[in-house]
Amino acid sequence: MTRDRLEGHLANIVLYGSVAGVLVFFYIPILTLILFSFSESRFLSFPIEALSLRWYGELFAANDFWPALRNSAVLASVSTVFATMFGIGGAIAWIRWRFRFQRFFQGLTFAPLLFPQLLLGVVMLLWFSVLGSWLDFSPGLWSAIIGHVVYITPFALVIIAVQVHGFDDTLEDAARDAGANRWQVFREITLPLIWPGVFSAAIFAFLLSWGNFYITYSLAGTARTLPTFVFSGIAVGSSPIYPALATLSFVPALLLVGLADVFRRRAAARRAAPPKSE
Amino acid sequence: MADQRKSWRDRGLMLATLPVSALMLFFFLVPLGLTAALSFQSTKYYRVVWSWDTGTWIDVFTHGHYWSIMLQTITMALACVALCIIISLPVAYALVNRMRSVENHVKVLIVFAFLTDAVLKTFGWVLFLDRTGVMNGMLETIGFGPAATDILFNPGATLLGMVYNLLPYTIFTIYLSLARIDRDLVLAAYDAGASRLRTFWEVTLPLSRPGVIAGGVLVFVLSLGVFLESKVMGGGTSPMAAELIRQTFETRVNWPLGAALTLVVIAIGVLTLGGAGALFLHLNSRKGTA
Repeated sequence: MTRDRLEGHLANIVLYGSVAGVLVFFYIPILTLILFSFSESRFLSFPIEALSLRWYGELFAANDFWPALRNSAVLASVSTVFATMFGIGGAIAWIRWRFRFQRFFQGLTFAPLLFPQLLLGVVMLLWFSVLGSWLDFSPGLWSAIIGHVVYITPFALVIIAVQVHGFDDTLEDAARDAGANRWQVFREITLPLIWPGVFSAAIFAFLLSWGNFYITYSLAGTARTLPTFVFSGIAVGSSPIYPALATLSFVPALLLVGLADVFRRRAAARRAAPPKSE
Repeated sequence: MADQRKSWRDRGLMLATLPVSALMLFFFLVPLGLTAALSFQSTKYYRVVWSWDTGTWIDVFTHGHYWSIMLQTITMALACVALCIIISLPVAYALVNRMRSVENHVKVLIVFAFLTDAVLKTFGWVLFLDRTGVMNGMLETIGFGPAATDILFNPGATLLGMVYNLLPYTIFTIYLSLARIDRDLVLAAYDAGASRLRTFWEVTLPLSRPGVIAGGVLVFVLSLGVFLESKVMGGGTSPMAAELIRQTFETRVNWPLGAALTLVVIAIGVLTLGGAGALFLHLNSRKGTA
């Protein structure tokens, strides 16, 4: 066996091994939670003696669960709509247009991505508290929404910008030549072309908000979302309802990521074989 | 072509940029300015007194305690960066060069894990690693004694949690930079008689540098704000800057001090970013003249 082939074998072991290892690593805590959610025991210890759905029932009966679920859903939906809208406008301005203060605009809309979330939350909390003492209000779900939009917009912007980057603008020119006004061009041509990027940005935004802990923790006041509900629970001691909650909260993520993958594959297939008419 | 010049009188430009700029100005830049201003105030009976002095800053600079926590945070962040890069390089390389057929499935799996609630995942680690957890249970069934390992509640566990939560950032930045490498360069190196290892070392690795630097900086800056992992997995054995800041605000209710410490961490992050930017320009200019 030559040295080169030996090297090749070793490289394969390292490469495939690292991917397999990383996947196992990523899914250890997730699978552990799913496993424990079906345990009958009050104590979260392994091996599991009997299986049951008992803790799902206890979870649904818990008083704080439903408001937290509702808050999470409201927070994630509203933040997604705003972050995606800002992302579309921002991405087009970033990539396709040239204007004065563009550098400043790019820096301003990208900077929150480079901030540790806790610090972003703390800095905004100070501001909300000062505003609140002037105008007499206290932080709540709405301030968490603002915090989420500030934090998530740069993510949405970058994802949409990637789509805008490979953009062919002859179609837009053609539509304009055919007499379409700017809004029509945007709605009929631009938006459909960047749609895959917009769609993945929206899913990303929803899930980032749905699972966000640090910013909600800083800014939501007394309102609880699922992550802060879990945190306040496990900070005082683990309870068997949290694995059940975890398993349930994986469901929307699983659905959305799966859906995004289906759309991506359909878009890729369409690009590979363009239809004759549409 | 794509570059359209726009004037600020253009309605489309206003619509696309003004709302988001207003949001970022009013809820990001202004709060930063306020934080800076707050750090020059003092506190009395848990209330902020607008005194405009440097007492808080003198306090920050003369207390070794704060700096040892900052130093420990930086050490943890650097360790996290090193581990993330070492793990991500082979993974990203394999995704680009070996696993074309399943590449997208692997990416979807990683994205799903990344987008899952960090509190829950951290809690999942506790259940796995606990003395009565899954790992010890499995070790016991294959013949080790009960509670064979005790991994939780030390700085190593904090580091494990940090790497777990931040690894996707380096995987994806390095993946993106490797995916852009011109395959011909690698083939040319093979033609010239270089072995695989040598090609990787002398062609692929240098070309992946933008992704390594970008991912490393991102992970470093984000690790400065970690407290979930240090609290839940580290059990408070590794005080991190973010935990210090949280306590200063919540327990000690000393806002000026909290603001000053926040600014110190932000300054560390900004200096790192600036340094990375300079390194980037330096590498690019060297490439230009070579």
